[in-house]
Amino acid sequence: MKTFAYTIKDEVGIHARPAGLLAKKAKEFESVITLEKGGKTAVATKLMAIMGMGVKCGDTVNVTVEGADEEKAAAEMEAFFNANL
Amino acid sequence: MDYRQCATEILRELGGKENLISAAHCATRLRLVIADNSKVNKGNLENTDGVKGVFEAAGQLQIIIGTGTVNKVYDEFIAIAGVEAASKDDVKAAAASKAPWYKRAIKTLGDIFVPIIPAIVATGLLNGLLGGLSKAFPDIAGSQIYTLLNIFSNSALTFLPILIAISAAKIFGGNQFLGAVIGMIMIHPDLVNAWAVSGGAETSTLWSWFGLWNIQNVGYQGHVIPVILAVLLMSKLEKWLHKRVPEMIDLFVTPLVSVLVAGFATMTIIGPVFSQVETWVLSGAQWLISIPFGIGAFIMGGVYAPTVVAGVHHMYNAIEMMMLADNGMNIWMPIATAANVSQGAAALAVALKTKNKKTKSMALPASLSAFLGITEPAIFGVNVRFMRPFIAGMIGGACGAAVASLTGVYATANGVTGVFGFLITTDSFVGYLLTFLVSAVVAFVVSWFMGIKEDVPAENQTAKPQEIDVPAKEYNDDTVYAPLEGKVVALEDVPDATFAEGVLGLGAAIEPAVGEVVAPADGEVSSIFDTHHAVGLTLDNGMELLIHVGINTVALNGEGFTAHVSEGDKVKRGQPLISFDMDFITSKGYPIITPVIVSNADDYKGIRKTDSAEVKRLDELLTVEKG
Repeated sequence: MKTFAYTIKDEVGIHARPAGLLAKKAKEFESVITLEKGGKTAVATKLMAIMGMGVKCGDTVNVTVEGADEEKAAAEMEAFFNANL
Repeated sequence: MDYRQCATEILRELGGKENLISAAHCATRLRLVIADNSKVNKGNLENTDGVKGVFEAAGQLQIIIGTGTVNKVYDEFIAIAGVEAASKDDVKAAAASKAPWYKRAIKTLGDIFVPIIPAIVATGLLNGLLGGLSKAFPDIAGSQIYTLLNIFSNSALTFLPILIAISAAKIFGGNQFLGAVIGMIMIHPDLVNAWAVSGGAETSTLWSWFGLWNIQNVGYQGHVIPVILAVLLMSKLEKWLHKRVPEMIDLFVTPLVSVLVAGFATMTIIGPVFSQVETWVLSGAQWLISIPFGIGAFIMGGVYAPTVVAGVHHMYNAIEMMMLADNGMNIWMPIATAANVSQGAAALAVALKTKNKKTKSMALPASLSAFLGITEPAIFGVNVRFMRPFIAGMIGGACGAAVASLTGVYATANGVTGVFGFLITTDSFVGYLLTFLVSAVVAFVVSWFMGIKEDVPAENQTAKPQEIDVPAKEYNDDTVYAPLEGKVVALEDVPDATFAEGVLGLGAAIEPAVGEVVAPADGEVSSIFDTHHAVGLTLDNGMELLIHVGINTVALNGEGFTAHVSEGDKVKRGQPLISFDMDFITSKGYPIITPVIVSNADDYKGIRKTDSAEVKRLDELLTVEKG
């Protein structure tokens, strides 16, 4: 299991568009990727669940990656967060 | 009106009590100081029942509620917000750090004058009545009752500096009785009355600065600014001494030194310098309105209403008082009347023309109130919101003021305008009547023909959730019904790659015809953003649906949007979810095309959009094929 924390820098938080991109990215991997913020969790492939977390700018999201390709998935997800959020 | 409800909504829309620094109210407005103005949802505030207008001035968020109700809303407001009832002084102090100095100065001037207006109105009206009576019955002028009442009627103006000093001392935090003493010194009977001096009375030297500058023993009857400055100095001095003088001797040293130093400085420096400056300001205003052929008055009548919006109109009390002190002829008041009456007439045109009930119910009383001289409800509640009536009012005001100037209308007191103004313009009744009529008629006609853009009322209508109204037909689970009315657009044609490429899921888009999103089927709100521009639903049939109003509208930060549901709410088919102001969003440059997306599209084999070019609410929009 790999985990990392990321603090959102995007002004609008994880809104529809970034959430969609995030879900799309998460679907590329075999590993199960979960996001957690303030007690709410969401499976990263579920757009509605991500949006339901209501992540805003400045919030810290804990990302957990678990599965066969977790090394690669965690690295790419972290890169995705850095690039998009 | 439910005062508590109104107060609760106001508090919510301004960002909760955390965002509130202090609260006070005046005759018509709640005056609030807000920590972070960007958290205030002005659109929703304006739509709150009971709120007639919202604007920011002098570092305050001012919410127009109206005479007689503002205090009740205020009581509820401070009860639920848990703030101490602040005096205007506190609010002013809190706002002070935000407003530029000149605005603060003008505001202070207003704060000083507002409390003494009843005194001026009482004696001013009496003055007007007496003047009218002595015109109608010349015999009355020599009677005992006339002599007696005449004393009543000019007392407030004769002793004006004392009233101003008392009020100013309160504002500046000094002792009000010491302030009164400063005022008394300035109009002491041993000084030659300033009015007598303008009538040619002899004066002698009161004080000489090294023989270079001789100050005459003239009183400050009718002066305003020197009194305020003198009291400001006294108050500062008094507070400074209180902190430093040992308590044992504070009681006699502090008042003595404060009055002595402030009084001396007032009579030998402040008074002489500022009575000169004041004379210049007075001449400036008089010069403007003395430009012949009514041109100056025309300009002043036109710009008067915008100065009310800017909140600088309280300063005019000082000009009027100076005019009255100078020659007893207040030619400012007819200009103010022209400006006020015309705003009322413009609002009346709106009241008669609008089809929107809320606008009508507000415009009518606001208009009447303006005819009586209280213009805030008409200006802020109606005219400025539609802008065109406001401009119509300015045009009417300019024309009316020009008429006043050309016919030589003047008032013999101040403190009232509009209909009551007839009582203090008995010397020029016909001219005043003409001024009144021209202002009203011009403003009404211009306002009538300019019309109003009913976009704001349209927003009002959609802001209130409508009754759930579900067309009677058979609904099935394989169909997604249109959550809003409009033209159907293929998702690929949405001007945004994220939607067009199906990143968020598959579906279709609607170019809305009406600014309201309803639930297409029973389900639960799985997400609604703080910015109220998008809603995610999980329908009872397992489908996840994202309805995203407009493109990039997240940047509007909720402005133009009203959400009727919150996250986790169960919703019924046809229930309103979000209302939005289409004109506003378009005016900000954002497309209002609204993608309706099945976000768990992977769970279905296929999603097909309807062939119809247009859909009504809850018409078929998408058909899905279960996987």
